[in-house]
Amino acid sequence: MNIVIKDLRFTYPTGLEALRGISLTIAPGEQVAIVGQNGAGKTTLVKHLNGLLQPTQGAIHIGDWDTREHPVSKLAARVGYVFQNPDEQLFSRNVGMEVAFGPKNLGYPVEKVDALVKDALALTELSDKTETNPYDLSSTWRKMVALASIISMDTDIVIFDEPTTGQDAVNVRRIASVIQALRERGKTVITITHDIDFCAENFERVIAMAQGQILLDGPANEVLGQEEILATTYVDPPQLTRLGLRLGLKETVRNQDEFLTAIRK
Amino acid sequence: MNNRLSFFVPIQSPLHALNPLTKLALVFAMIALAFFSFPWLAPGLVIPIFIAGLVGKVQNQYFFVVTRLILPTVAFMFIMQSLFLPLGDVTIFAFWIFDVTRESLQAAFITVSRIFVMVSSFTLLLLTTHPSELMTDLTRRGLPPQFAYVIISTLQIIPQMQAKAQTIIAAQSSRGLDTQSTFAKRVGALVPLVGPMVFGSLVEVEERAIAIEARGFTSTRVKTSLKDVPDSRFDQILRWGILVIVILAIISRLWLS
Repeated sequence: MNIVIKDLRFTYPTGLEALRGISLTIAPGEQVAIVGQNGAGKTTLVKHLNGLLQPTQGAIHIGDWDTREHPVSKLAARVGYVFQNPDEQLFSRNVGMEVAFGPKNLGYPVEKVDALVKDALALTELSDKTETNPYDLSSTWRKMVALASIISMDTDIVIFDEPTTGQDAVNVRRIASVIQALRERGKTVITITHDIDFCAENFERVIAMAQGQILLDGPANEVLGQEEILATTYVDPPQLTRLGLRLGLKETVRNQDEFLTAIRK
Repeated sequence: MNNRLSFFVPIQSPLHALNPLTKLALVFAMIALAFFSFPWLAPGLVIPIFIAGLVGKVQNQYFFVVTRLILPTVAFMFIMQSLFLPLGDVTIFAFWIFDVTRESLQAAFITVSRIFVMVSSFTLLLLTTHPSELMTDLTRRGLPPQFAYVIISTLQIIPQMQAKAQTIIAAQSSRGLDTQSTFAKRVGALVPLVGPMVFGSLVEVEERAIAIEARGFTSTRVKTSLKDVPDSRFDQILRWGILVIVILAIISRLWLS
């Protein structure tokens, strides 16, 4: 499902102009990371994708739907949005019910709901915790419950708002594998992140934002190589990328494999 | 999002500059005059209140509160009182089982004036006084800090709860929860919205308690305050003046009646 954003502008009721003319197309199955300093407008931008915010000017199309013409609860069938803090959405007595909440809201038949829940729990390694109360789990596992509760809705587009914040290395890897699985299923994944290594290792396309505008947009290697421009929005490229730049490597490198290949040439 | 803490309007004015205790004394003086002095004084007290609103440069916000909150309330009370007070026999008009007399109208007018004066005085106090300034001043004068904490945290929690509720609504409607259409659906949406609210609030209360304890809240030592709340000579004279006026007004009423 295509995402088409045309000259999007958004001003908060307080008068703060958070988005100043964003035009963007995201093709089905793309994995996009959005980076940029706090207050750059990242969250404001993605909140437009499922209708939580309505544009002051411009328009957003999710497939053939204009987000202004459909309520959030209907757009939820196309765009899943994992919020930063799982505690702001968990309420059920056990993990299974929590994860079933979304697909049930979308009105899927019972068998389909069951299949989706089972699949989402398997993907997030929660299968053995189905009967547990989410609040008896550690915060890392609650995060996974939040992920599962969106994945179970089987939307074509999934948004993650800072999924790795406050997570240990094991759980970051777990989240990365979930994103990998979504990629294999042809889902569009859009992730806001301050974790630049996570961004470099898991995303092919990177968008850098600053002051409500898009600063850079392109393949991860190209964007992450623009050290000076990224610095204006307080983003440091990954250490290996910076090392590669200092060493004067021809290509921009993002991970160990690319670095080693480049240096052996 | 609403970031305002309580009603306070952060500007500068003669009313803002007064010591919080002086303003509190003014509020209680207005209430004492309205309730315990001559009944016909109560409607007249509306004039100094309007003047105070202008002096405090909060007339717009005050007008907003008056029209949205105070007037509807007192209008309702006025109707109820004039209908049900069993006073006098000069019937002005009657319908069904109700008799509206001149006396009941008068009594109702006095009562709503008193309520108007009381609520207005407090409104102006809240509009021109930062709650933490009021509490700092009162704690310095011997108010138990626990009491101040309860007041302050209550005032702060309202905007925080609002913001939290907004986020929860956003999170749940992103999961397809219908919070906008039919009444039945809205009722059904209550549990997913209230659940995270309650859990989250409990966690927050604990964190808050730990945070203030880490700053020595229950320490019995005498604490100094970072915030200096000025208490001028003018404030002190004004407070004594208020006391004298209130006492005179009440005594003269007792004397004359």
